[in-house]
Amino acid sequence: MNRPTVLSRSALSELLTAHPWIWAFAAVIVEWVLLTVIADRGFIPTMQAQITLAPYLVIVSIGQMFVITLGNGNIDLSIPYTMPLAAYFAIGVAGKPGGSLAVGIAVGLLCGVLVGIVNSLGILLLSIPPIVCTLAVGFLIQTATYVRAANYSEQLPQPLVNATLAKLAGIPDVTFACVLLSLLAAAILYRTRYGRGVQAIGQNIVAAERAGLPVSRTVVYTYVLSGVLAALSGIFLAAFSGLTLDIGSTYLLASVAAVVLGGTLVTGGRSFVTGVWGGAIFLGLTVTLLSVAGASVAVQDMGEGVLILIVLLFAGRTRVVQRE
Amino acid sequence: MLATAEVTPPVGRSWLRRKTQRREIVNRSLAPAAAIGMFIWVALLQSDVATYSGLTLLLSSAIPLVAASLAALVVISIGDIDVGIGFFIGLTNAISSQYLPRHEVLGWLLLIGLVLAYSGIGALIELGRVPAIVATLGASFIWMGAGLVVLPVPGGTAPGWLTSFFNLSPPLVPFPIVIMVVLVAATTWFMSRTSLGTGIRAVGANVQSVRRHGWSILKLRMVCFGVAGLLGVIGGLSVTAVADSGSPGSSADLTLLAIAAVILGAGEFSGGYAFPLGAVAGAVAISLATSLLTFLNVSSNYQGSVVGIILIVILLARVVTKGSRR
Repeated sequence: MNRPTVLSRSALSELLTAHPWIWAFAAVIVEWVLLTVIADRGFIPTMQAQITLAPYLVIVSIGQMFVITLGNGNIDLSIPYTMPLAAYFAIGVAGKPGGSLAVGIAVGLLCGVLVGIVNSLGILLLSIPPIVCTLAVGFLIQTATYVRAANYSEQLPQPLVNATLAKLAGIPDVTFACVLLSLLAAAILYRTRYGRGVQAIGQNIVAAERAGLPVSRTVVYTYVLSGVLAALSGIFLAAFSGLTLDIGSTYLLASVAAVVLGGTLVTGGRSFVTGVWGGAIFLGLTVTLLSVAGASVAVQDMGEGVLILIVLLFAGRTRVVQRE
Repeated sequence: MLATAEVTPPVGRSWLRRKTQRREIVNRSLAPAAAIGMFIWVALLQSDVATYSGLTLLLSSAIPLVAASLAALVVISIGDIDVGIGFFIGLTNAISSQYLPRHEVLGWLLLIGLVLAYSGIGALIELGRVPAIVATLGASFIWMGAGLVVLPVPGGTAPGWLTSFFNLSPPLVPFPIVIMVVLVAATTWFMSRTSLGTGIRAVGANVQSVRRHGWSILKLRMVCFGVAGLLGVIGGLSVTAVADSGSPGSSADLTLLAIAAVILGAGEFSGGYAFPLGAVAGAVAISLATSLLTFLNVSSNYQGSVVGIILIVILLARVVTKGSRR
């Protein structure tokens, strides 16, 4: 059934169809060379800057990828609000004199779990479209964050800050940890019963239901996973770049873009963990390129928006051709 | 759902039909009742609002949300969701306050171009087979960025003719009410009396049957988003008139508020259905609710979550009461 009707297909195009994330990495290499030439900062330092920042986006995007893989309009728009929520609650506990870092991080991650549960309950019980539900939940937790941040005096715990700055052979420890996390995510998505359930629901929810898959439970787990990963990223990002109310704001479109650029189908059912890295680094390079070219933050936003629309247009096209 | 009931009336089950109709009447009168209730509450706290000028002041700040809600309604009726209308209104607000007073031709060309660009989103969704959510989300960043390019810091001013238009004071009926009635009448006429509007609702109800019927879904989706863009421009102009300045970021909340207004006004996410009067009444109710919070001295920290709570409560109430309405 999947056999293409086109007879003359080169090995290359077959490879690209099977591994669409190669596109993202090809684009990364082009931009990498371009940026090295334009900014004149050297080949290696250019990439070093990218892999320092990419992990925070990759962590968030892996959660978004699981949600998008569910298909049927699933998407998590609460991510940019979950990140500061978790950061404020985690550092609020850990930053107190004598506060425990482990307890703080646990509290932050618990915030993520709660957001995921509320999101999925709204979607399942109230049948609110995921986009509206996660946005509404986002507004609710934004209020919670504002209230929590109103009388804030806690300092960033030094061990946490040091952890985000530690490096091994010029590569941040956070990046290594994020690679391990990605491998774990890939193992969950491709090897476990739960992960295959996520893909099956994205391919055909009716078939998944008839096959006896626990659809509701899978949806809850997936939104919880996304919430926890957003919380994790938020806590570490706050330690790395400072605690502000809007630390998550650029991560909404970026998380969707990194997932889609990485070859994951927006309609669900098929996803690539490797591609998320390609997509995230590509986005980082694009933003750097635009700012080197002297573009303001506003123009960078526009560039990101235009980029995602163009990629979507082509990604959608190839899929349609494939189906015929 | 009414649209389904119109297509396949439950023949020979008049009791069921009556029950459905009664539920539909309750559902449709929810938003107007909420708007009137909110108004009475506000009037009890602040008796000045019950006068001609008080009502004008109170309701003119609701016009941007009314326009945004009608834009959301048109898009929801085709079965899509638009998460970019707030930033789009912010952009048109920025353009109309920055260019219309001094470079009138340029300003109008940009606004017309934006309506066309909005209908381009419809084309993108149809041609690229892109989910509307992601397409409108991507576009929203373009609107946001463009708004900040036009107006990096809040500023600008309303063109004179726009201010004097909004300051019209017809006898007896405050002008904002006239604007709302005109907008409701025009949208209702378009959605139910024209073939394009019917086509848009038909796509929302059953895409396959429209395709088999030989209508161009591309055209219908482009018209749908074009109309939403036009309503967005009206919304942006009204923000400019009400605030007498431009601030691209300040309209961002309208996205979710508009969706909430449509749902409060008996709207359905599944598409195929349009009840403009309900959406506008919902918009007025929500706008009055935010004014009420100000009169009650509720901290602005909490105001953002009011919409989320309103939306969840309505949908929860519907799940409890309707049972089989989906």
